[in-house]
Formats: sequence, C-alpha cells, structure tokens
Amino acid sequence: MNTVVADITYRAMLGRKRIWLLILLPVALVALAALLRLINGQDEQTAVTLMKSFAIGTMLPLLGLIAGTGVIAPEIEDGTIIHLLAKPISRPVIAVTKFVVAASLIAVLAAVSTYAAAYLLIGSESGVAAGFTLGAVLGGVAYAAVFLLLGVLTRHAVAVGVIYALVWEGVVGGYVPGARKFSIQQWAQSLADQISSSPFFSTEVTLGFAVPAMVVVTVVAVVWTGRRLRSLSIAGDD
Amino acid sequence: MTTEPTAVIHDIGYRHYDGVRLGRGRAALALGVQSLRGVFGLGRTIRAKIMPLLLVAIMLMPTVVSVGVMALANQFVMPYPNYAVFMQAVIAIFLAAQSPYLVAPDLRFRVLPLYLSRPLTVTDYVLAKLAALAVALFGLLAVPLTIEYVGELLVDLPGPPHTAEYLGALGGSVLYAVLLASLGIALASLTPRRGLGVAVVIAFYMFTAAVSGIFAGVLISSGRDDLSGWALLLNPFFLVDYAQSALFGTTPVNTESAPPGVASCLILLAVVALAVTGVLLRYRKAAS
Repeated sequence: MNTVVADITYRAMLGRKRIWLLILLPVALVALAALLRLINGQDEQTAVTLMKSFAIGTMLPLLGLIAGTGVIAPEIEDGTIIHLLAKPISRPVIAVTKFVVAASLIAVLAAVSTYAAAYLLIGSESGVAAGFTLGAVLGGVAYAAVFLLLGVLTRHAVAVGVIYALVWEGVVGGYVPGARKFSIQQWAQSLADQISSSPFFSTEVTLGFAVPAMVVVTVVAVVWTGRRLRSLSIAGDD
Repeated sequence: MTTEPTAVIHDIGYRHYDGVRLGRGRAALALGVQSLRGVFGLGRTIRAKIMPLLLVAIMLMPTVVSVGVMALANQFVMPYPNYAVFMQAVIAIFLAAQSPYLVAPDLRFRVLPLYLSRPLTVTDYVLAKLAALAVALFGLLAVPLTIEYVGELLVDLPGPPHTAEYLGALGGSVLYAVLLASLGIALASLTPRRGLGVAVVIAFYMFTAAVSGIFAGVLISSGRDDLSGWALLLNPFFLVDYAQSALFGTTPVNTESAPPGVASCLILLAVVALAVTGVLLRYRKAAS
C-alpha cells in the first residue's frame, strides 16, 4: 500500500467523467426504490426483487467493471503506466494499492445506496437491508479484484468483463445450475441470505462454499495482478 | 532508350494527382465501408478480430441447433421474430464492444479535422458511421435468420414454410439495426476512451433491461397488468419487438397487455431521432 499512488489514483477516478457513471448507478438505485415505494407501498417481495436483480445483479457488476478496470486500464492504454512502473515501488504493492482504491470506492458506493434503497422500501424488517448491504460490500470487493486483474491481462478488459457478468452470470447461470456456483453475484446473495430472514429470498450456494471462494478469488486476483505487472507489455494494438 | 528530361538535377519523384476526383459521396462511402469492415475486425489486428468473430459464432449457434432439430426431429423450434429478443445479451455485447471502436479513436487522436479537410462534411461522417454500424447489426441478425429459413426450406417440414414470419423478422432486424446503431453511436461518442465507451453502452443496456423487468414484475404482481407492457418498452429490445409486431404482424414475446402498436412505433422513432440529433450536435462541437 503506497499512499502517494493511492492518492493519485483516487484523484484520477474522482476527477473524470468516470465518476458520473459511478455515481449515477447508485443514485438510480435509490430513485428506483423511492418510485417503487410510491407505486406499491411497503412490500418485502419488491424489496428483495430490487435488491437481487438491480443492486446485486446490475449495479454491482457495473460498478466493479467501471472502478476495477478504471484504476489501471486507462493508464496502460495511454502508456503513462511506465512512469509509475519506473519508480522504485514494488509491483505487488502497486497492485494492492490499485485494488484498495477500487474496492473502497465500490464498497462505499454500493453499501450506502443498497442500504438506503432497502431501508426506503421496507425499513429494517427481516434484515433485508443489512444482509444485502453486507453482500454488496463483499461482492464489490471481489468484483474489484477480478476486474483489476482483467485490466492488466487484456486490452479488452471491459468487453471480457461484460461477457463474464452478462453471459456467464446472467444467461448461463440462468439455465445451468452448476454455473451459479462460480458466480460472484451468487456468493454475494449467499452472504445476504445469512443475515436476512426474508421468506421471499433463498440462495443455492452454501455459505461454506461462498466465503472461501470469495476470499480465494480476491487474493488470487490481486496476487496475479502483481505478478503480471512485473512483466507488462505496453505495445499497443489498434 | 528513353530520353531523360533535360535540366533536371534531381527528380525525387513527386507526382500530381491527375485522376478523377470522386467527391463527397464516394468519400462517405469509402468511410462507411472501411468502418463496416473494421466492426468485424477485417483489416485490423488478429486481437481485434477475436471478439466480433466470437460473437458472430455465438449468434449462429441457435440457428445451427434449430436447423439440426428440424432435420432430425422434424420440429420447428425457434420462431423467427423472437430471435433478437432471445439473443439480446449477445447483441448488446456486440453493440457495446464495437460501437466505441467506430468513434472513440478518431475523437481520442483528434483526427476529425483531417477527415473534414476533405469534401466530407460532419453530417456525412456521422451518417457513414451510423450506417456502418446499422449494416453490421442487420447482418448479425439477418444472416442467422436466413440460414435458418434456408434450412427450413431444405428440410421441407410438413405444413407451409413460415415465410411471412421470416420476412417480418427481417423487417424487424432493420428496426433493431437502426435503433441500436443510433443508441450505440450516441452513447459511445460521449467519451474518447474506448474502455469507458464500452462500459457506458453496456451500462445503458443492463440498466434499461433491469429497470423494465423490475417494473413489469411489480406492476403485474400488484394487479396493474395493463401498465406492465409500457414498463417493458424501456428495454430497447422489447420496444422494437412491439414495433415489429405492429408493423409486420408478428407475435411479440410478451403477448399480455401490449401497449398500442402506434405508441411503440412513435417512441421508437422519437428515440432514434433524439439519438441521431445528439450525435450530430456532439460532432458539430467536436469538429470545431
């Protein structure tokens, strides 16, 4: 963890257009919750649907995609990463710093908006708000690590990330039960289910699998990013 | 022996162009064709070809399966008009991955003035890019549909072939191509960064799809079925699906409580007009 690198990365993330996309999604989640509250009143089933399909299913992967690749991919694209890599800072430290910046941004944005939206819809009833907030924070951290790794592995990090989030987690996970075991969204939902006691919400992946899987994926992705940075090729394509 | 020109100390070989100048239309056409090739990675590096060709292959898979089922089990499985809605995630990824390629590099490397120093105008540039993406999307939809239709004719199922449905689906493909191309270019031209452009386009799709699904579900569960069709219109794919059924008489995917056909057609037109105007305004500013 290097505070100077972290500071520069925070400024790069918060000072550009990227921040609007990062803020727009959480704001939309809260606005949707308010609108649904107006249309439908307090309804636990609506709250669980909104949390599952929008907060965890749409907002979280998109935040992960934008922040996770955003902390490193533009620097590689512009070639300015050379200046960072030429400094006497160990590459794993750079990877960890970038990861901490991305993870903290996603965790804060996801946690605040998820809790606010769930609280707007049903208050703190049957632990839905607290459960999904926990799921969103930890899921967001795992997404940050995975998309950070994609950002250093390929120039098409965003496109590959979209394929993972949309095709693997969305389409394949919808038809093939086995694919759900390897989905960050499902792990986040398992965590949420642990706290919430809502009868409208059940998950398929056990907590005994989800938590170790999440930890392993996060750690492996960050370590691999560090190793990959040691021999990064900067030659441009198209 | 050719006669050397006299009084030349050193001829470095510069030539004037004496040929025909083809003008504005041909310049726009050349730009369009070049962009269309680029969408599928032709004339670009191997790495740029992987993504579009992979997505094209995925688009063809249901066709291959359904022709196989028709041949082996003599059953017609996949109705033509629902193909795009069924494959919407893949089409959205294709749009998100390829539309930034068309606009982002030119904005990023500030080469727009070079294009505009030729007879090409800003409007020509924008229309050429829109047309290239629209043709690419139409091909992405029409080729699998046509292969399936040819397969159906060759297998010769009992009963008449689904010609009307096939033609309706082709008409719908034009609508999909125009709407998605204008949305894709409008969103991607907001940023000169390709990665961010991909994220913006896919975020737009995932956001509208999720919101329309949630609202339709909530409205149905709270007994206001008549409004649920309107909520579905938020998703561009369902919007075109309803417009297609209104214009070509096909059956939409969601038959319950469809909004009036005129409304979906008008909304479709309004969205396309808004997006194209947005791109034109954006480029007026970017070009100056």
